[in-house]
Amino acid sequence: MALKELSSLEKFLGLKKPNKYSTQGDRKVPVLQSNSGPGLVGLVTIATHLTQEAKKPDLLGSSAEERAVVQQWLEYRVTRLDGCAKEDIRTILKDLNTYLEDKVYLAGNHISIADPLMYYGLHHIIMDLAVHEKEKYLNVTRWFDHMQHYPIVRHHLPPVAVLRNRVYTSGHH
Amino acid sequence: MQKMKLFVSEGNPHCLKALAVLELTGVKCDVQHVNHEEKVVPFLSRPTLPVLHLPSGQYLFSSNAICQYLFDVSKKGSSKQSHQWLEWEATELQPALMYALHLVVVQGKTADSAKGLEAPLSFLEQSLSKRTTAFLTAETVGVADIVLWAALYPAFLENGLKTSELKSTRTWFERVGVLPACQASVQTVLKGKGVEALKGYLQKQPAPHGQHTQPRNTHTSSN
Repeated sequence: MALKELSSLEKFLGLKKPNKYSTQGDRKVPVLQSNSGPGLVGLVTIATHLTQEAKKPDLLGSSAEERAVVQQWLEYRVTRLDGCAKEDIRTILKDLNTYLEDKVYLAGNHISIADPLMYYGLHHIIMDLAVHEKEKYLNVTRWFDHMQHYPIVRHHLPPVAVLRNRVYTSGHH
Repeated sequence: MQKMKLFVSEGNPHCLKALAVLELTGVKCDVQHVNHEEKVVPFLSRPTLPVLHLPSGQYLFSSNAICQYLFDVSKKGSSKQSHQWLEWEATELQPALMYALHLVVVQGKTADSAKGLEAPLSFLEQSLSKRTTAFLTAETVGVADIVLWAALYPAFLENGLKTSELKSTRTWFERVGVLPACQASVQTVLKGKGVEALKGYLQKQPAPHGQHTQPRNTHTSSN
């Protein structure tokens, strides 16, 4: 899973040459293989590295504050979201929903690397939500839909129908 | 612009990191002591500390992000290596530590506590024994040193750990621990009470499940 995600991330970043990855341990932690020396270990570490390689430092945040906020949501993705217990999912969605109330992206007004990574991590959860729950977590759903329509982000994942209005009434023909 | 403010609570092991880094970097910031149950971040359901309220109004509720930020604004910077250590600390070491601390401090099961920590500690020991610098990532103390030191501090207070087998770890741990910034943060958070000081905090946390720490399929050789 993490490997497909990293390959999507490479495309999102506009990296032409795909890297070699493997996984390690029970949790299948991704490792970026390197010809010189040991590889880089961990989704956040690799995503940060790829963004630097792609020379898109703004996606890591353009100020010390933004950089910290981006790192925080990356960490949230791998520590809170990944492998979270079923009963925690609602809390995570509720918290994200409150957080996103006045924000377009996770770091505020600019897209950052935290957005696609959170989107990848949330995809299977949003896919399983009932329609009324998607409406309950409206800010998450709005952000999620924004991400899946964002150029090249979705890539390896199927689109999720999010809001009733959008699915059934908009002019798709 | 608001003034920056760090919220901490006594006996919360995660606050050790933030207070040590704040002292070390000398970043100007108010420190406010609150109790464990204080809800500082408006959008989080569960009370979380430490929290750094940034001048922009944003909240940092991850102790590692707070430490990185303080290093960043003090122009000390951080390397790729330190990113990797911080992620390892958050994803591998913390779950094992919280489980072990919960066993010892809340349930009083000292004997079982060291088991889950064996794998992460032996990884740290191996990495430290291979390094060529005085600290984890450089000749000077970096953000990864403080974060890992603070995370391990409560566990190293416990005699349950067989520290003789962790020679490089112990040397490095003591090198970081003698820094005045580290000593000051220990005094502020533990008040000279040792791990018992953490009891109040740990009791309020959801009981950690040992799923990360159970030795299933791990290829640890016992030689």
